[in-house]
Amino acid sequence: MAHVTEYLPLLLAGLRTTLLLAISTMVVGLILGMLLALAKLSKSPWLSRPAYAFTNFMRGIPEFLVLLLIYFGGTQVLNGMLPEGGFEVSPFGAGLAALSVIFGAYASETFRAAFQSVPKGQIEAGRAYGFSTWKTFRYIQIPQIWRVAIPGLGNLWQGSVKDTALVSIVGLDDLMRKAQQASQTTREPFTFFFVASLMFLAITLVSMWIIARLERRASRGFAGAR
Amino acid sequence: MTTNGNGNAAVALEVNEIHKTFGTHEVLKGISLTAHDHDVVAILGSSGSGKSTFLRCINLLETPTSGEVRVKGEQIRMTIRRGEPAPADMKQVDRIRSKLAMVFQQFNLWQHMTILDNVVAGQVHVLGRDKHEATAKAEEMLKKVGVSDKVGHYPSQLSGGQQQRVAIARALAMDPEVMLFDEPTSALDPELVNEVLKVMRGLAEEGRTMLVVTHEMGFAREAANRLMFLHQGLVEDEGDPREVMKNPNSERFRQFLTGSLK
Repeated sequence: MAHVTEYLPLLLAGLRTTLLLAISTMVVGLILGMLLALAKLSKSPWLSRPAYAFTNFMRGIPEFLVLLLIYFGGTQVLNGMLPEGGFEVSPFGAGLAALSVIFGAYASETFRAAFQSVPKGQIEAGRAYGFSTWKTFRYIQIPQIWRVAIPGLGNLWQGSVKDTALVSIVGLDDLMRKAQQASQTTREPFTFFFVASLMFLAITLVSMWIIARLERRASRGFAGAR
Repeated sequence: MTTNGNGNAAVALEVNEIHKTFGTHEVLKGISLTAHDHDVVAILGSSGSGKSTFLRCINLLETPTSGEVRVKGEQIRMTIRRGEPAPADMKQVDRIRSKLAMVFQQFNLWQHMTILDNVVAGQVHVLGRDKHEATAKAEEMLKKVGVSDKVGHYPSQLSGGQQQRVAIARALAMDPEVMLFDEPTSALDPELVNEVLKVMRGLAEEGRTMLVVTHEMGFAREAANRLMFLHQGLVEDEGDPREVMKNPNSERFRQFLTGSLK
């Protein structure tokens, strides 16, 4: 156990990187997911078809493969385009790109279903009172879609927290990698992987509590949902 | 309110030769209507007669295939986009819509907002009133329709009759030029119909300009000063409600009144 206190600062630094990656992934993923959902719901096939194709592609291949594609493939493509060469995608950048693209692909389906769950009359009432398309979106649709979307988005968040562990393989100094390093030097793999597990579990528990609160807040006014 | 209309009052709404086609089915075959300030026009018709579609064409919830709508003399400008008629300027449409507050059959109160916020939202986001002023106005209107004890509740906690009265308060708060009622009592349990009709009669008496699509013959007879009967997309009969209901000009309206045309 003495080793744990000794390596704790290292593990906490890893935890910080893990959280930073997970939170950035969620922010970028939510924006991407919303844009993809709006594209899918668009009347124009020029928007909806590519959005569906992209989503299906991303959901159809393993997360790990997406990461490798971006990390190694990205470096190769960028160096091919830049004459000087020597360009390298950082592990964090590759992780963020891969995980947020995956988050966005799944979130777009959650958002799409949530948009479709808002009764037409709610939107019509907005339009009939002079709300523009944007104001209807902002003041009527968005507040109502959260109620439906939050449970699904919560699952995606939990998933992407765990997926950050994959990024350690391409060299990100996250919690997973730090635990691995500590267990190798001390030859106490069980101890350090167990401590890392507890830290992941702590993130999950705190997230569950926050998600439950957000869900309650978003459900105000809906029968049987308080 | 026995004579036909308020001939001396200013024209509030002018609708000219509205046609509406869904696919190959022509729902409205050229309907016109002029409403002066303080007019209460009851629009009757069996289901499928086009009466709701007509009302929804006035505020462009449905885009008319052809025809003109003028509100307080201002014509809604139309154009052709990708071969279909469309409003030329959505900003103009939004502005005009805010003057044509609509009350829906299914109330359509915003579920995520409290009763008070439902009545405040349009005033703030559309009319640009400040929050304080809008709240005061909302409270006044909710009091007028008799639901001021529910301001902090959500729509799902109210009965249908209460929700519809809130919807009427939401409409009134916009200071509309014309109020459009689309079968406001059709979704209500029979015992709740009267509380809504009572509020609507009050509005008629204080001189609100109203277009009311309804099945309530009593309301049409007593509160309206004009009646319009639609059948298969055409105006089959119109006039002073009491006269025309006693002596219909058209056979179809006679059948409708005796209940044989449902």
